[in-house]
Amino acid sequence: MRLITIGIVVFLLGSCSSGKKPDEQAFLESLDSTNTAGPGVDEEVINSILEQIPSPIEISMLLKESGSKYNETILNSSNNLPKYNSNYKKALNLGVYGTDLGYTNIFGRNQDGIKYISSIKSLADELNIGQFFDIATIGRLATNSKNLDSLLLITTMNFNQINHYLQSQSRDNLSVLLLTGGWLEAMQITCQTAAKNPDNAELIETIGEQKIILEQIMLLFTFYQGDENMAGLSADLDALKKAYDKININYTYKESTMEIIDGVAVIKDNSTTTIDITKENIEEIKNIIDQIRTKVIS
Amino acid sequence: MKKIAFLLLSILSVTANSNELVVDQACDSDNLANACIPKLTSGFNFLKSYKVNGEAKDKVEYSYVFTKGTQYMINLCPNGTTADGVVVSIFDKERNKVASSKINGQFISAIAYPCNATGIYYIQYTFDEPSSHCAGSALGFKR
Repeated sequence: MRLITIGIVVFLLGSCSSGKKPDEQAFLESLDSTNTAGPGVDEEVINSILEQIPSPIEISMLLKESGSKYNETILNSSNNLPKYNSNYKKALNLGVYGTDLGYTNIFGRNQDGIKYISSIKSLADELNIGQFFDIATIGRLATNSKNLDSLLLITTMNFNQINHYLQSQSRDNLSVLLLTGGWLEAMQITCQTAAKNPDNAELIETIGEQKIILEQIMLLFTFYQGDENMAGLSADLDALKKAYDKININYTYKESTMEIIDGVAVIKDNSTTTIDITKENIEEIKNIIDQIRTKVIS
Repeated sequence: MKKIAFLLLSILSVTANSNELVVDQACDSDNLANACIPKLTSGFNFLKSYKVNGEAKDKVEYSYVFTKGTQYMINLCPNGTTADGVVVSIFDKERNKVASSKINGQFISAIAYPCNATGIYYIQYTFDEPSSHCAGSALGFKR
């Protein structure tokens, strides 16, 4: 009977073990000030919110399409890398540099992009997620501007893999920071570009639309109020929210129509959104973003 | 007594392994999702890949913020040769259906959605036939 008991215990221990590889264990142990969500928080809820935040690549593409000029000076210098000593700062600035890399890629500034690839790899390695960056392939693709599509594809896939991995390891807090850093940098680039192109209605509208994303990010931060760093950033974002509270996004639904063209269901979206936003609103948002982003990259 | 213990362990072990095997063989939505990425129409930039495993579910749902002025493409890669049986639909934040891959009874494997209203949208996968519950899917965009 004792043997049966021992056997069952051995089996249960085996089936309940995490099965984590040594590097994964090292990763979990290496985390410092970034605590995961508190007890009772449904990680599925967090992950579903994380999944809905748009890629910063979309904004970079918009900036290029809007005719704005490439401006390296508005990006975070890769020389700032040694400043990022905590995992909190590393995760945030991994997101920041990710957005900067996307921006340089889309504008075909490959030499600038290579500096960011190196910084991204360093931060990812220090967070023990460097294995998800195919640095050799990214570096090779970055040497030729004709490889833009492949470059965007592989970098997007790598960032998606990192997010999925972090979520699967219950370290979604780092995913939140990575995503927030990326979004803040995209906001910074958009606001600075809009300041140089004050009559560009598309850029103004894009800044206004970010109210929706900010609400989702703030929702994510409510799960991590026990973490001192994240609570501090949340308070900063709250000031931004107050500025966004003055902006209205009006949605009008109208039934869409569909037709099949070349085997694709092509939709005509008849719904619309309009945004009530003033130049003063834009100026206020730009200033707050600048303050928050300065804290993040310092 | 030893024989009973080993027998019990063997049964438990085989049961656990066979369960994993059944799940893996039944729906490898992870691979289907990855395989769907290169099938995005040329000109669209990849954003997300989605696993669609409808075993013991009547729907699988994701959400994403679509932006006005951007065209999105969602394609469907089912665990078979055609898209028959798996339907992808898009709902706006008020849960109005704005797009579907099933038009007049015909199953289509891709949706092109030129978004005219920024907001949260729900990408929902449903299964018209019990045998069609497994797929991968990819989301792309172009300006």
